[in-house]
Parts: sequence; C-alpha cells; structure tokens
Amino acid sequence: MSAKPSETTPVESSGPIRTVAVIDMGTASIRLAVAEILPNGSVRKLESLSQAVNLGRDTFTRGAISTETTEDCVQVLRSYRKILREYQIDRPEQVRVVATSAVREASNSLAFIDRIYIGTGFPVEPLEPAEVNHLTYLTIQPLLKAEPALGEVETLVMEVGGGSTELLAIRGANVVFSETYRLGSLRLRETLEALHAPVVKVRKMMEQQIERTIDDMAASIPRDNLIELVGVGGDVRFAARKLIAEWDSTRIARLPIKALEQLTDKILGQTTDQLVRKQRLSYPEAETLGPALLAYVLLAKRLELKQLLVTNVSLRDGLLIELAAGDTITEEFSNQIIRSATDLGRKFQFDEVHATHVAKLAGDLFHQLQAEHMLSPRTEVILRVAALLHEVGLYISQRSYHKHSLYLIRNSDMFGLSRRDLLLAALVARYHRRASPQPSHEGYNTLDRDQRVTVQKLAAILRLADALDESRSQRIKEIKCQRDEDRLIITVPQVEDVSLEQLTLRAYGSLFEETFGLSVLLRIAPG
Amino acid sequence: MTEITPSFFNRELSWLEFNQRVLNEACNRDLPLLERMKFLAITAANMDEFYMVRVGGLKIIASQGVTSLDPAGMTPTEQLEAIRKRVRQMVDDQYACFHEIEERLADASLRRLRPDQLSERQRHTTEHIFDSEVFSVLTPMAVRAEDPFPLLMNQMLHLAVQLAGPEDNPEAYRYAVIPLGKVLGRRVTLSTDRGHVYMLLEDLAIAFLERFFPQEQILASAAFRITRNADFTLRDDLAFDLVTDMQGILNARKHGDCVRLEVSHSATPELIAFLKQRLEIAYDDVFIVPGPVDLAGFMSMGDVAGFDSLRYEAWPPQTSPRIDPGTSMFRTIASGDLLLYHPYESFEPVLRLIEEAADDPDVLAIKQILYRTSRKSPIVAALARAAQKGKYVTVILELKARFDEARNIEWATNLEEAGVQVIYGVKGLKTHAKVCVIVRRESHGIQRYVHFGTGNYNEMTARIYSDASLLTCNEELGADAVAFFNAITGYSQPQRFQKIEAAPLGLRGKLLEMIDAEGQYAKQQQDAFLYAKLNSLVDPELIQALYAASQAGVKIALNIRGICCLRPGVPGLSENITVISVIDRFLEHARVFHFHHGGDDRVWISSADWMPRNLDRRIELLVPVEDFDCRGRLMNILQTYFRDNVKAFKLKTDGSYERVGARRKRQVRSQQELYLEVCKAVKEAEQSRQTTFQPHRAGGND
Repeated sequence: MSAKPSETTPVESSGPIRTVAVIDMGTASIRLAVAEILPNGSVRKLESLSQAVNLGRDTFTRGAISTETTEDCVQVLRSYRKILREYQIDRPEQVRVVATSAVREASNSLAFIDRIYIGTGFPVEPLEPAEVNHLTYLTIQPLLKAEPALGEVETLVMEVGGGSTELLAIRGANVVFSETYRLGSLRLRETLEALHAPVVKVRKMMEQQIERTIDDMAASIPRDNLIELVGVGGDVRFAARKLIAEWDSTRIARLPIKALEQLTDKILGQTTDQLVRKQRLSYPEAETLGPALLAYVLLAKRLELKQLLVTNVSLRDGLLIELAAGDTITEEFSNQIIRSATDLGRKFQFDEVHATHVAKLAGDLFHQLQAEHMLSPRTEVILRVAALLHEVGLYISQRSYHKHSLYLIRNSDMFGLSRRDLLLAALVARYHRRASPQPSHEGYNTLDRDQRVTVQKLAAILRLADALDESRSQRIKEIKCQRDEDRLIITVPQVEDVSLEQLTLRAYGSLFEETFGLSVLLRIAPG
Repeated sequence: MTEITPSFFNRELSWLEFNQRVLNEACNRDLPLLERMKFLAITAANMDEFYMVRVGGLKIIASQGVTSLDPAGMTPTEQLEAIRKRVRQMVDDQYACFHEIEERLADASLRRLRPDQLSERQRHTTEHIFDSEVFSVLTPMAVRAEDPFPLLMNQMLHLAVQLAGPEDNPEAYRYAVIPLGKVLGRRVTLSTDRGHVYMLLEDLAIAFLERFFPQEQILASAAFRITRNADFTLRDDLAFDLVTDMQGILNARKHGDCVRLEVSHSATPELIAFLKQRLEIAYDDVFIVPGPVDLAGFMSMGDVAGFDSLRYEAWPPQTSPRIDPGTSMFRTIASGDLLLYHPYESFEPVLRLIEEAADDPDVLAIKQILYRTSRKSPIVAALARAAQKGKYVTVILELKARFDEARNIEWATNLEEAGVQVIYGVKGLKTHAKVCVIVRRESHGIQRYVHFGTGNYNEMTARIYSDASLLTCNEELGADAVAFFNAITGYSQPQRFQKIEAAPLGLRGKLLEMIDAEGQYAKQQQDAFLYAKLNSLVDPELIQALYAASQAGVKIALNIRGICCLRPGVPGLSENITVISVIDRFLEHARVFHFHHGGDDRVWISSADWMPRNLDRRIELLVPVEDFDCRGRLMNILQTYFRDNVKAFKLKTDGSYERVGARRKRQVRSQQELYLEVCKAVKEAEQSRQTTFQPHRAGGND
C-alpha cells in the first residue's frame, strides 16, 4: 500500500485532447461515432451508436425521401445531439455529419438536408463517390500496413452499398484505380420486386444482374498481379461474425468463399422477417444483406479467389482520421492525388517537365507566402493539381486553351478530389492567364465567398509560378520570397538574367497585385 | 406405465425443497432463537408468494384443462397434487417449529400471552388499548346468506365470528367477518416485570369481541386469511413460464380467485364450512393451523429491543483494504480493478463513488439502473444533486408494478424535476442488470468508471445479501457499459459488446458457448471443469448443455441456493455434476461462474439466474472479471462454498437434500470463513500500514 496510485486527478495537459463526433447517414442506418483525438493525432473511439432508418428504401424505390423517413432522421439526430451534449460536443467544428448515396441521389436531397438543418441544427454534407473512395483509402491504409502480406499484392477494396458499389484498387500505398458502379443491394432488391419474380427465380435473376456489373469491374481490374479482395461495410461484417466465432475485429478476417456462399444462400432463402427475428438485424439491414453478400461472392468467384478479407473499419473511421488530420492531408494521400493528376495530364499529352516544374514552384510559393494567403494547408494540393494541368486545354486547341483546361479538369475523375475540389482546381487552372475571375464566369459563379477567394489567391500564385518558368528551361530552380513594404521580392540564385520572367510577371502579375496588394520584383541573388 | 425417471426436477417441488432448507434453519437448535423465528417467518412469507403466484397460476391452467407436461413430465393437476401433499407436511412442520421456538422464547422471558393468561393489570391495559385504539378502527361486517360475500383483502388477517340465531331458532347461525386491517400492529406489547410480553391483535380483538356484538351470543370466533390468485398481468415476471401457457386464458378469467384459506384451529366446523362455502374454496386448499395464522407476521420479532443474546453476533461489514477513506474512489479504481464481496465488505465505497461523482466538477455524465430502491436511498439523493450541478444523469428505474407506481413515486418525480432523465423501465422487459457508469473528463481524455454488481443498489439489502461488486475503469468494459445504456435507453440499436454479454441478446448464447467449450476441452482429454454459483437453475436448454458437458467428462460443481431443476449424479447423464445449496445468515445472492477453459480461467459475475425469464424476458448482464487479483479472489470465494460442511446441503439424485456434514475434522462454515478472511485481510493491511511511516509533509516537499 505504500506505492502511490497513479495520478488521475485532471490537470491541464500540454496538448489539447479534442472530443469529436461523426455521423454517417447511410442506406439502412444513421450511425454516430464519438471519439477523442489525442495530441499525437491518434483516434480513440468512445462510443458507437446506430439507429435504423429507411433512407435507402425510399431513395432507391421512390426516388425521394419520404416525410416520414425525414422525420425519423430528425428524431435520431436529436437523440444523438443529447449524447453529444454529454461530451460537451457543441461547437460545429467538433461534429461532421455526412450522407452517402441514399441522400445524395434522392430527388429531394436539398429539401431533406434543409429540413434536417432546421430540425436539428446539423448541416448534412452529402459525400460524393470520390470522397467515399478517399475515405475508404484512408481507413484501409493502416490495415494494409499492419498486414505486410497485403503490401505485396494488389488489394481490391469493395463496398456494396444500398445504391452503388465502390471499388478501389491499391498497390502498395498507391491507388491504381477507383470507380463507383451502379450496383446496389437495395436497387437490386427493388428491381426484382418490381418484376414480381417468384422466389425460386430471384436468386438467379439477382445473379444475372450482378454479373453484368461484374463484367465491367473485371474489365478494369488489372490482372497482372496477385489480388486480394477486401470487403467493407455492415453486410460483410455481419458475415465475418457469423463465420468466425471469435473474430478479433481489430484484425482482418479471412472468410472462405465456400463458406460465405453457403451463408449467402441461407440468407437469401429467408424472408426479411425471418432475418430480423433470427439474426437480430434491423429491417433495413435485413433487406440489403442477401444481395450484398451475393455481389461479394460473385466477384470473388470471377476473380477465382478462395477467400474474402473483411475489415471492421467503416466510413466513420475515415471521417475521424480526416478530423484528426484537421486541415492537413497526409503526404501519402497528397502524392496519390498528384499521381492521378499526372496520369490525366499524360492522357492529354501535356508538357510534363514544364508542368511538373510549375507545380513545384507553385508549391514553394504557397509555403513561403503562407503569411499572405493564409489558406488552409489542404488547398495546396488543389494548387498543385491546377499547376500540373493548367495547360491540358492545349490538347483541344490553342485558342482560349485555358477554358478547355477548365472543362477537361472539371469533368475528369481524379482519385481523392471531390467534385467541389476538382472545380476549384479547374478554375485555378483557367485563371492562370487572361481574365481575372469575374462573378459572371461559369463555374466561378457557383462558389461561395471563401471558395472564390481561394480560387483567386491560388490563381494569383499559379500565375507567378508559371511566369517563373516562362523560359520553359526550368532554369529558376530555387526561389526565396521576402516582403518589403508593399513589394514582394523574389530572389533567385544562379541565374544571369531574369528579364524574360520579369516581363511576363508584369503582363500576368496584375492578378497577384489585385489579390495581395503587392507588386512583385524578381531579383538575382548576389553571386 | 413404466416409471421413467425424468431428467428434470419439477420447479415447484424444487422450490418447496428450498423452503424446507430454510425451515431446517428455523428448526436448528444451534441457532439463536430470534434468528430461528426470522427464518420461520421467511418460510411463511415465501409460501404466501408461492401460493399467490405459482399455485395460483397452476390452478388457472389446470382449470382450463391444460394437460401439457412440464420438463419433469407432470401435468398441472399432478403438480398441484404433489404441491398440496408437500405443503401439508411443511405447514405441520412450521407450526411444530413455531411452538418449540415460542416455548424457548418464553423461557428466555419473551412471551406471547393468550387472553386467559393476562394478569389483572394487563387485563386493564388491554381493555384500555382496545377501547382507545382498536374498537374504532375495526368494523364487523354481517354476512347474510342472501348477500354477496364481502370482498376480503388478499392475505389480510380477518376474524370470522359465529353468532347464535334468533331465540326461536338458535341453530340458524349468523356470521360476521372483521377485517383486522393494516393500521394496527400485529403484536401488542404489554407491560411486565420481566422480559417482554405481547399479545396478538386477533387475540385482543377476540378478548373483547362482545363489544362488537352487544346482546348477541357469540358461539365461536377464529382468525383466518385468504390468499388470492395474483394479477398475472403485473406479476408475469414471477410466473413467466406459466403465463406463456395462459395466453388467451388470462383475459377470459377473472383474477383474484381464492386459492388458499388458512383458519385458526379455534374455528368450529360450522365456521369452517361457512367460510369454505362462501369463499368457494375446495377442502384441499383449506389449512386449519394449530397456532397463529400468518407466521410471516413474526418477522418483526427479530427486532424486539434487547435480547441480543438471542441473535447472531454482529458481523459488521469491513472496509476493503484496497480502500483508503482519504483517497478518492476515482483514484482508487484507476490504480486497479476493485472487487468487493458484500456484505462481508462494506457497500459504502459504491455509494461513495456515486456521491463523489455527483460533486466532481469533471464528471460529465452518470448513468445508472435502479431496481427496487428506496426513497431514502443516498444514491437517489446523489443523482439528483449531480443533475442539479449540470451533469447528464440518466436513471433507468425498475418498479415492482410499473404502471401504478410510476405515477405515484414522488421521489422519482423529484429526480425528474432535478433534471435527471428518468426512464421507467423498458417495454416488455424487466431491467434487472445492476450497473452504473460515470463519464469523467481527465487529463488523458475521457475516462469511464463502471460499477457492475450482482445485487441491487440498496444499502439495506447490501447488509444481508451476499453480492459481488466490480469497480473498474477498464477501457473495453467502460465502452461496453455505455453501449449497453445506449441500447436499453433506445439511443442505439444494440451494438456488439467487446467483453460483456447482455440478456436477452447474447447472454444465453455465451453461457452455452462457454459450457460447450468446456466439453470440447474434456473431449480432448484436457482438464475441464466449471463452477457456478447462482440462485436458481431452471432453464432446460442450459441444463441440457450441462448434461452434455458432464457426459463429455466436465467436472461441474454448482452452488444453487434455491430452485434446481437439474438432476445430478445420474449415470450416463449427470454423474459429473454435484449441486450444493448454502443457507445461512446472509442470503446467498451473488451469481459467479468459473470456467476452467483449458487453463485460461474465465470468471464472470452476473445479475442473471439461469431461468428462462432471466435469459429471455429480462435485461441482465454477464461481466467478465479479468483482473488477475479480482479473478483469483472470486475463484477462492467460489471454492469456499464448496468446502462448506456446516451450512451446505447436497442435492441427491432423488431430488431431496441432505446436509453435507462434517466428515473431516475441521468444520467449515463458508459465510464465517469469508468473513474471517476479510477481517484478516483488513488486519494485515493495517499492520503493514503501521510499519511504513508516512510523515505529513508540507505540499511540494516530496
């Protein structure tokens, strides 16, 4: 008894611990995760809650979310609000509420989101497929690292949702491709129910439907490597718990496809009522289970795999990792985005050396001018993507090529960038020359003020970076920025003459001056 | 028909055997007299409930012609027959015991006086008491043949009076009934020179009976009492298995039929016939008792002032050596899991934890289940205080009769007014789990302190019930406890727990899995055994699992205080199973299970008995005790009971129980052993404290 027990009396700690929450409005349920973000950035989950809702059923059968379901959602979120209060989570930056395809695809999505906001005060963010893929990537990364065996192979991460299926191929730390297919467990069920097919035929018809999507999938999956298929989501988690009695859910479960197929058959042979009673599922969960599992089984069989790997991670884990990272994005992830931007540039035969150099210079400027632009570190990747792709419009035509760049970028799929981020990057590229942003400009006019300011600042920086490589010889390699009253002095070492660049700056630099109130002066560093 | 010995004992007969074991304690001449009287009163109170719920339920089923067999192979009618036979014997034994105790109490100067035994002075006092307090309160009701019989209150004592008929026809008896009410105490204390004397209320009323019937001729009078069928819509928890047989019958059937009549032997045959006929009760259900009706009323005798030599020596609860009154409970728990075994160890630390939580500025939320607690409970006060201080307090309140009481319980309303979120139970399920979670913000983040118990948050019963408490801030247990609350309060669908199991979700499955796993070890020729301590074992599925494990070679030792439907020691079925039952001064109430699990010993505490109602119709918890010291201590506690050869009974294959008896030299009385162990630990801790000097230092000088 002489040893003193460890100190537990609360004291002011050196680093703050943030208590945060994420709410995910999915197809079959609204889930809440409450967590702490420790000073070292790690996430400690405190609570996980789930309540069943019919969002998916509404959207994928009727196209819209019913009033009844909307009010159910309001009730659920209000009850979650109470839990959050217990943790003193009351500031908006502590909570993130997202919704996936069931809300995004509803025809009354906006009205729904407004009603939720009025009823609960929660702003709901509908996630785009690209964001979902990004979050999946974030959650799966730590697992891939923890399982060295997966480092060697190509990992195919699959999530069959109510309305769509996400597929993400990762090799090492790199995303090889990501794609969203319109194969959804609820969609399937609805299509078949609409046909009033007899029960015995349902399985066969479901199989045919799924096979069609699997044909598409198989065509895009590179087969030059060993493949492991990883399933995420509630349906496969259910299967893992059924098939592996003592699944340590912090680890990956390996489900033999044979056993999974038997389970799937058993589940497809039961009515929703039976599933609810016997398996203790909610109705919305019970509806998606069979078709979803069948999709995993069929893809695994097509790829001639013997097992399906299942992880316990979810979208909420990804959201928490994002919250933990705050405004910064991981270097690994940023590299992923740059990689896919480069791929896109190559598609349009860009001047890779110039583009890469401008992107580097833009990045340097972004860092050195942090005190001027005060943008979140997250926006750097948007700038770099814009810098890489600013000239892709040349692929179409010389004339007004910056406008071609705008729509080419805007309409591509790029891993890790949401539609919104992609538009920002496209606009930054568009404004690398010619007119300054105008409220009347297409695309620009859909942005809110913060986003408009971001575009303007980034475009100004991009013009500077582009001007610095006007010679296209990459002779300006290093720069040093220094503020002197109302001038920005950029010192460049080991260059004999910068008159070309200075000239270009004068031509293109007005945006910079308009934006930051600084004129730019190039100066050669004394030998 | 050939006699096949069924694998199960009938639960009613098994319960009667339990009551017999309690009666044995009442008859045990080695016990202090007032404790014996208490045990006797307990057997009577138990029997009252048994008649009301179990016999009442069986009667309804039998009267509807249900002939389905119970697991022991008996029809409802057969069960009723067997019960009657057994109860008759038991009632005879109860009264023999009563007279024997009373005689000895009289020798010890604690006497009950009959009207003819009063001294002049006492006669005077009783008259005064009758006039001033009794006469005005009691109201006789004349019962004429043409009138409906007055509604008699269930289990209330009444007097039946037989009066002579009119002068022209004295044989045309008239009758009256006097309810003795609940206002007056059953025992009326009288003055005496030595010791304590008292008179029973019914005797006092009889002594002055003529005052109620002036100018009448009283031929006879007798105390009596009826027991009515329970209202099963409110009592279904106690008759869960029966109620499932009663679906549809219940609505059709009027409740409250008389299922038992107890009459004092002073009643004349006419009086008995009158009651029997008017109450519409069969002769089989009439008990003419050779002594006072309602022996449960003698419970309070144990509290008569003085006479300490007629009671057990006091075993005051000890403060666990792990607890320092000067250290906050939060700090104590943070330094390691804490196991308390009540009532040997005081329940006070649990109260203190909740009180500290109420006043601690860093506590964010308290969630607690309260089952049958009292208005005066310090826990209720602490929870209200916590809510007033702005903490989020959630209380799930389980009341005996949910609908009537909920509205009337003033203190629950006060809790709500203080800002506590009060949830009056969960629809369709009785919340029987005992758990309290405290969410506290600390320097290293949110910390959750949890109390899991096997007994109620009731500081009174915590002094006489043996129960276990686990206090912990283990991460997984904390998360589980919070998830459990989210599920039962409807904030979330049940999520998977990391360590605990809850009924009616995965608790039954977990037990089956653990029992089955033990069987697998046995089949692989590994050591396989399991020990379980619980109050009742009825559930057929679990019993079958235990049989299967026994057949696989698992050594199973069960310590079951009450009902046990498992038949032990049957070759080929259950020869590896032994069952004991410990009846002593503390009510054995803790549920503790120990599975060997291939050497990776798994120990659990639980709120649940192994009965269908607990596993399917109640919210219960099964909690692992993983801390090395706590687990080891619980394993030792379990073993102590199995070594008992003083207060332990062994269940024989035929369903009867016999005392284990001391074949060995040393007598082991488990409750005493447990108490002495606790005292020893406290003493050792004190001594070790004395050998370390802890100077008081000014702050910061360490």
